[in-house]
Amino acid sequence: MKNYKIAWRNLWRNKRRTIITVASVFFAVFFALLMRSLQLGSYDHMFRNVIESYTGYLQVQNEDFKDNPTVDNVFAFSPEISETILKDKNVSDAVPRFESFALASSGSLTKGVLVMGIDPEKESLLSNVKERLVKYKLTEKTIENLKKSELPETVKSKLDLFKGESYSSGGILQLDLGIRNADSSALMPIIRKEASFSNGYISSGNKEVLIGYRLAKYLELNIGDTLVLIGQGYHGTTAAGKFRISGIVRMPTSDIDNKIVYLPVDVCQELYGAPGMLTSLALCIKDNSDKKINRMMQSIGKEMPSPLRMIEWREMNALLINQMESDNKSGGIMIAILYLVIAFGIFGTVLMMTIERKREFGVLVAIGMQKSKLAAIVSLEMIYIGLLGILSGIAVAFPAIIIGQYNPIRLAGEYAKVYESYGMEPVMPFMPVDYYFLWQSVIVALIVGIAIIYPVRKIYKMQLVNSLKA
Amino acid sequence: MKIIEIKNVSKIYNESEVQVNAVNGVTLDFQEAEFAAIVGPSGSGKTTLLNLIGGLDNPTSGEIIIDGTNLAKLKSSELIDFRMRNIGFVFQAYNLIPVLTAKENVEFIMNLQSWSKKERDERTFELLKAVGLFERANSRPAKMSGGQQQRIAVARALASRPKFVLADEPTANLDSKSASTLLEIMEKLNHEEKITFIFSTHDARVVKMAHRVITLEDGKVVSDDVRE
Ligand SMILES: Nc1ncnc2c1ncn2[C@@H]1O[C@H](COP(=O)(O)OP(=O)(O)O)[C@@H](O)[C@H]1O
Ligand SMILES: [Mg+2]
Repeated sequence: MKNYKIAWRNLWRNKRRTIITVASVFFAVFFALLMRSLQLGSYDHMFRNVIESYTGYLQVQNEDFKDNPTVDNVFAFSPEISETILKDKNVSDAVPRFESFALASSGSLTKGVLVMGIDPEKESLLSNVKERLVKYKLTEKTIENLKKSELPETVKSKLDLFKGESYSSGGILQLDLGIRNADSSALMPIIRKEASFSNGYISSGNKEVLIGYRLAKYLELNIGDTLVLIGQGYHGTTAAGKFRISGIVRMPTSDIDNKIVYLPVDVCQELYGAPGMLTSLALCIKDNSDKKINRMMQSIGKEMPSPLRMIEWREMNALLINQMESDNKSGGIMIAILYLVIAFGIFGTVLMMTIERKREFGVLVAIGMQKSKLAAIVSLEMIYIGLLGILSGIAVAFPAIIIGQYNPIRLAGEYAKVYESYGMEPVMPFMPVDYYFLWQSVIVALIVGIAIIYPVRKIYKMQLVNSLKA
Repeated sequence: MKIIEIKNVSKIYNESEVQVNAVNGVTLDFQEAEFAAIVGPSGSGKTTLLNLIGGLDNPTSGEIIIDGTNLAKLKSSELIDFRMRNIGFVFQAYNLIPVLTAKENVEFIMNLQSWSKKERDERTFELLKAVGLFERANSRPAKMSGGQQQRIAVARALASRPKFVLADEPTANLDSKSASTLLEIMEKLNHEEKITFIFSTHDARVVKMAHRVITLEDGKVVSDDVRE
């Protein structure tokens, strides 16, 4: 009889214990895989959103701009640069930006603001500023009208809570008013009609700006009003100008919403006395694989004249990556605890099994079984438990993740609002099956490996006469 | 022919405060095809002596030579192999491997010795018949009575034709009828196979069946009678 066969039979001697142990490994593997898949999936989702809707995967900057983002560290944007970049087949377009700081004032109110010069048309290839424009506003008048409408009382009672709020998407408005998706087609048109807010956009050459909703509130400004910007211009000049507010935007974070001012890039260059200059040029690329991006860093970077350089998404989003890594760590700790519990379960099983079979081990060695063979059999038993647990865990998690990939979990309530406000779909997608599957197996293998040490040691250190007496 | 020589063997246990001379200066020889009982009251050193002969324990002093091999000269893995090739064991109870059938248990040592399937099958069936359990070949130990299990253990001990079989109180857990059946089978096999049996017991009826009776007291041989 071969070792593996004896081991297999031994496994089923104590069916209940074996099943409990295998089941614990199964659950650990299953949950760890699901947790991992969800976590990695949402990072990926968030990343794509931040990168694809803001920084882009690659930018051209002055080499000093990242460490010292002042107006002096800009670069002259020439047709040659544009040509060099667009020569790369993987680049579909380039989005120019001029980013700086200024003091904004209106009447006696003043505030430090972030000035973003954008190409009003091209910008929509990355961050969709147009979509951030406030579309609905719950003014006092609006609420009054809505209260007279045929909206249900539950919705009407919520209206006052959001007096003065403005929305760039109907989704958030719907969430705020607690309207379920099923009722939205009946109720939302009524609300939209009353609450809709008309906004203008900006266009090249016109001294018009879009400002954040909170900034507008702070400066007590409205559409059509004038905003004064004062700052330090290129090479020590003074930047100052008066701009008409053509629109109000609602930014996802209050931090940005409190200080953002968008204006056409050419108007911005003029304001700072830096015609033709940019702080960054973000590339729209087709294939965003790491390999491709690295290749582009090299090939395009080589052709950029000094002081220009290529900067990739990882460097630009270091803070976000950091945050995700620390979040990732806490997820890792959760999984570690899960496995620790399982490890104790396995160790318990091994301990009991070794004690119970002390005499049997003694008899086997007495009648002539080498200790190495006995150790191999006992190890195989543990390996079977590990394998059964891992394989069954994977077998169930695998289709679950595939299903989750195509039917991501839809978020509701507050979470959904956060996602919506970032312009992200409120879903938690699963990460497709990847290396993290391998890791779970490695961890279980490691636990089993450690668990095997105990019986194997006992077998090798066995005092035959004592074992036989047991 | 001498197959076992025990030369002035002692075993002293120091585990507790008092030192115990479990076996105290024993000198004995065993020949081929003997059927010998070691008797004596509980604590007289029967188990210890059998363990020493079987190479399961080392003597504190003295030598044990089996078929010309001094057990003390063997490394621990060599000693395991030596037992596997030369000595059959029957213990008081729970001898069998619970996950193996009667047939597989009997085959076990032949398997360790890599016998061919044909040889194994022949020998196993021969022994199963000899112990009267041919029809239980596919039963697991848990499905058999204590007496049946001991008969299978005897079959296993004999399977690979060892030089001798050691049985430490093989009947201790059996009722008297099963005990005498077991002894009859052992005696018959001893006769047919010419394999030496050394068994310990304190059951008077079992002692009666032995051809040689060695009596221990406080670890010493106090009598050694051969009966025909
Ligand atoms: N491992 C041990 N440690 C200490 N004393 C032991 C040990 N094994 C046996 N003894 C002692 O040795 C003596 C002989 O025991 P044993 O050989 O088991 O006798 P028997 O089998 O005749 O009952 C007893 O006094 C027993 O207490
Ligand atoms: Mg005893």
